[in-house]
Amino acid sequence: MGGGEGSLTARSAAADAAADLPPPARRGRRLLHADPATPALLGLPLAWLGVFFLVPIGIVAGYSLDALSIEPGPHALTLAGWRELVHEGVYLGLFWKSVQMSLLVSAVVVVLAYPLAYYLALSGTKRKYVLLLILIAPFLTSYLLRLLAWKVILGSQGVVNSFLFWTGLRDADHPLGQLLYSRFAVVLVLAYVWLPFVALPIFVSLESLDRRLLEAASDLGARRWQAFLQVTLPLSAPGVVAGFLFVFIPTVGEFVTPSLVGGTSGYMYGNQIVDLFGSGFPDWRTGAVLALFLLVVVAALTAVFARFLQFRQVTAG
Amino acid sequence: MTDRQGLSGRELSRRDLLKLGAAAGGAALLGARAATASAALERATAESGRLQVLDWAGYEVKDLWLPYLEKYPGQKPKFTFMTNEANALAKMHAGFEPDVVRPYVGYVRDFAESGFVQPWDTKLIPNLKQLNPTMVRAGRYEGKQYGIPQDWGFDAILYRADKVTPKERSWSLLFDERYGGKIAWFDDLNQLVWAGYYLGFKRPYDQTDAELKKSQALLESKKHLVRMFWSSETDMQNAFASGDIWIAFAWPADWVAMKSKGLKVVYMHPREGALSWIGMLMLGKDSPRPEHAHAFVDAWSSARTGRWLEDNYGYGHANLRARPKSSDLLRALRLADPNAVKEPNAHIDRHIPRRRLYAKLWEEVKAA
Repeated sequence: MGGGEGSLTARSAAADAAADLPPPARRGRRLLHADPATPALLGLPLAWLGVFFLVPIGIVAGYSLDALSIEPGPHALTLAGWRELVHEGVYLGLFWKSVQMSLLVSAVVVVLAYPLAYYLALSGTKRKYVLLLILIAPFLTSYLLRLLAWKVILGSQGVVNSFLFWTGLRDADHPLGQLLYSRFAVVLVLAYVWLPFVALPIFVSLESLDRRLLEAASDLGARRWQAFLQVTLPLSAPGVVAGFLFVFIPTVGEFVTPSLVGGTSGYMYGNQIVDLFGSGFPDWRTGAVLALFLLVVVAALTAVFARFLQFRQVTAG
Repeated sequence: MTDRQGLSGRELSRRDLLKLGAAAGGAALLGARAATASAALERATAESGRLQVLDWAGYEVKDLWLPYLEKYPGQKPKFTFMTNEANALAKMHAGFEPDVVRPYVGYVRDFAESGFVQPWDTKLIPNLKQLNPTMVRAGRYEGKQYGIPQDWGFDAILYRADKVTPKERSWSLLFDERYGGKIAWFDDLNQLVWAGYYLGFKRPYDQTDAELKKSQALLESKKHLVRMFWSSETDMQNAFASGDIWIAFAWPADWVAMKSKGLKVVYMHPREGALSWIGMLMLGKDSPRPEHAHAFVDAWSSARTGRWLEDNYGYGHANLRARPKSSDLLRALRLADPNAVKEPNAHIDRHIPRRRLYAKLWEEVKAA
């Protein structure tokens, strides 16, 4: 009887609530009309997106087709820039090299950041937020300064080589040359720079982990490494993927780090775009084609990863 | 806005006022001079505003145009920086109208034909007669003096004498297998030009398609030996000083800088001929301040400016009376020989008819 009363109460409460609510369609219209803040709130970011993202992309697209040009005189629309990109292969080769370097950087950073984030999130240390602050402390110094510091560390007479000379592991006339102005230097410095960006999303996903699942795994006889592989790792996958993307997307078009420490072999796709637009004899058409191609590929990859991310969240839930 | 700032910033010098007063007084007395007075007044009014100079960063230092400031006290020019000639042309296409701009000698024709510049009135540049005649000639296009030569230097090879023993005095040192990983090239399309000279082509500035293909193939096949393509002179000097680089495509100033760091270095002119470059000041087509512009270029052409440039920047100066304090620089620039800059001793940078193609091929070398 008590149960009957309870269900009656629940039903009547639900009915009361339903009576208070307008029909769905009407409610939607009413919300839009009733809240004058909505268009204002949406309008500003949309205008921002339009003016500072879509319009510039349209302009770049115009340059890629010669509809716009820095050279005076009339220009006919042409797909020549796009044809060259596909047929000549030089720039696609460079793009692939940059993708490989970026993938390597992202993978290295995830591998390094995971244990760090794991310790911060799950070790139970009371100072985890202090440690997090220390982790992002390098951001208090200039990016360029940090890059130049690496040049001091990696140079032929830098910290590493000087140590090798001192220990006798290396002859002073034959320093390790590939430390600086090389692909290795670019990967190392990028990994250093981006490590905190990856550690943070992994930390967040690990910290929001329901610890009872780990207790349950333990109760059911799972060893610690089994619990890690079958519970912790899958549940933190969204953080890992997000961190991976945080690194991959910006580094595939990176140009500052390779221009300072990359030398000839560390030259990346982003450097090519910069050079085409600025430093050499400018070729804005090819530069625009390369920039748009990068945008399209990165957008496609992001979409794929984002789907994966959502899928993981659903299955994790 | 610039004009307004310029107008408020302009102050007539005492000399200007005296000139105007004298002209106006003369006109009142003689009547016939009225037109002159009116023209002078008009000119001084028209030339109000700060001189607009489109130049390379580093050349805004006032020691380089001090005589101008002495002539027009308080009228410091307004500098806008260019990163290269194409960048300057793009700025002018976009509507920027400098009174003075500085392309290098290989671009004299490009600028003259662009319609954005006009020839100088050489009578208004007294210091012109002190400038190296070969360089002055290089500033002419279709018989008109579009460029007034100023800073200059060579493109040649700098190497560490204690680490490197060249097999021959040749551009080939820039791709000597024995020194792979210790070599720096300049990030510029003129790498195809020295490759052309090395390969013995007749016109490296205007190579045929087949020749360009060979030059590009040479650079691509030797690229693995190159540690860096430098675009910042400071970066290259740092790499050289720290021992990361032993051989570099470099300018005379780099030799002086490395010597001053105590390194045993040689600045080698290859037997195929070094390249030489000359900065050319040009007059904007519709410059509203032609007298100021001529005074500015005359100041730059003075021996005093030349000496300062040589002593402080390590570049040469076209004024033959300018001599640096450093005997090292004197030797590096071969200043004792006014013909050092031209054939057969060196190849003055010249117009590249297919510059766009050269640029494309060079970009492909970097991307390959």
